[in-house]
Amino acid sequence: MPREVFITGLGFITSIGNDSATVTASLNDGRHGMTAWDYCGNPAVHVKVAAPVRDFTVDSPSWRDWTWPARYDIPRETLRGLAPHGVYAFCAMEQALADAGLARADLTDGGTGLFCASAGSAFMLHHHLAHARASNFERGNPMGVVSSIAGTLNFNLAAHYGITGAVTGFVSACASSSHALGYAIDEIRLGRQQRMIVVGAEELNADTLLPFAPMRALSTNPDPATASRPFDTARDGFVGTGGATVIILEDASLARTRGARAYAELIGWGQASDGHRVATSHPEGAGLREAMRRALRDAAVTPAQIDHVNAHATSTPIGDRAEALALRTVFTEAGAHPAISGTKGLTGHGLSMAGAMEAGFCALALHEGFTPGNPHLLNADPACEGLNLPRESGSIRPRLVLNNSSGFGGSNVCHVLRRAPSSP
Amino acid sequence: MPDLPPQPTPAPARSPLAKFPPAIRTAHERFLATKNPADLDTVVLAIVLDHQPAHTRTSGEITAPDSARLIADLGFDSLALAEIVFFLEDLYQLTITNEELLRITTVGELHAFVRSKFAAPAAA
Repeated sequence: MPREVFITGLGFITSIGNDSATVTASLNDGRHGMTAWDYCGNPAVHVKVAAPVRDFTVDSPSWRDWTWPARYDIPRETLRGLAPHGVYAFCAMEQALADAGLARADLTDGGTGLFCASAGSAFMLHHHLAHARASNFERGNPMGVVSSIAGTLNFNLAAHYGITGAVTGFVSACASSSHALGYAIDEIRLGRQQRMIVVGAEELNADTLLPFAPMRALSTNPDPATASRPFDTARDGFVGTGGATVIILEDASLARTRGARAYAELIGWGQASDGHRVATSHPEGAGLREAMRRALRDAAVTPAQIDHVNAHATSTPIGDRAEALALRTVFTEAGAHPAISGTKGLTGHGLSMAGAMEAGFCALALHEGFTPGNPHLLNADPACEGLNLPRESGSIRPRLVLNNSSGFGGSNVCHVLRRAPSSP
Repeated sequence: MPDLPPQPTPAPARSPLAKFPPAIRTAHERFLATKNPADLDTVVLAIVLDHQPAHTRTSGEITAPDSARLIADLGFDSLALAEIVFFLEDLYQLTITNEELLRITTVGELHAFVRSKFAAPAAA
């Protein structure tokens, strides 16, 4: 019998809450995390809204200036190697481990692996390089590399927690942590690891977000309440966010043996690429369509069995349209009408973190018995005709949920989650 | 030369000791003014203790004897030693080579080495 994969722990540091209960309430109540935001003190920059994480101060390149909630104990020797988003990830990790009833000692026997995703810290890299260049590379901070480059999360977390199983990072832009989660499912299915920890994190600062402005990918709508409105005719780009999400996956037999609570079961995933443009989706979402079909096939479920879809839906004109067309082809044309939500309307777009964050939302939705809505959607794009896009969150208890992600270069990744047998 | 647009003024560099206790910052200022090696020792020791891993630190400990070995007793690894060296380089605009670093094993040797960097007339 194939191995089943349970989600047994969740940790959230997000713009809509820094724990599962607050995140669940925000999703249920349609409460967004956007606020007016000054990225760099330059009024000529037209991006005026962001979705920041609360209760952290990590806007300095010096770890000595950082603050975080007192309930998290970050040793200085670990802190010195972290990027700002590593602080978010550390806290989400502590949260997820406590949630799963695990201690550091449970992670060191080789049975646990760690897959991470972030773009690295452009902010820290910029700082350390400027410092090194000031002496024409005669001097430089020894922690400059490990606190900056893509991989900073896996370097630091594996060392801190003594994780000796499979450890690596994934880089596919906004599909990165969805890739991490997909391959983590495979590690357990293949019997290579009994437990996988998946981490997605990003930081919200000018260095990470504003390079998307010249691509015309960011919303310039100054109203926090409507800047991010996936699938709306008036959408004009995404709103940036930072934070971290940690998902703990366990082989179902291990989870049962130790009496762990299961949020949801991961029963399949699929990926496919557009093979089209470097930074824009295929006009009909061809890669995403195929990725959805592959995920459904892997999970052995039909489109009609899916109750809810967490769309990638970043609120960009091109991307949302492509996804809407792909969803119509996969679902509407098959006579299926799952409730579709674009939770980036509430959270903003977490880039590499987005896929894991939203898989976490799906797990909460399955466990708590609700479906998030689209509270900022006023006039749905005609491309969405036939799609079920409720404004309000729904109280129907979903049994099967699909999570979509798309990244640059046309990488598309989808996961299928099922309500855990023990959910109330 | 092509006309360049006005460049943003870089933020003034902040002292690496900005978050250290006032007594340490005062010792640093005094050392710069008087070159009294005892003040230098105070700053170097504070930097060592600041980088000491938590698992070798006992509560209330505020010093380390000259005989304390940086790796064997204080629990430093090679990267943490490199951090101390970088901190000193950055603070005093020194250059410390790998060969010099390899000769330092105790707190006392580190004190003597940093003192020697300022004593040598041709060090710059």
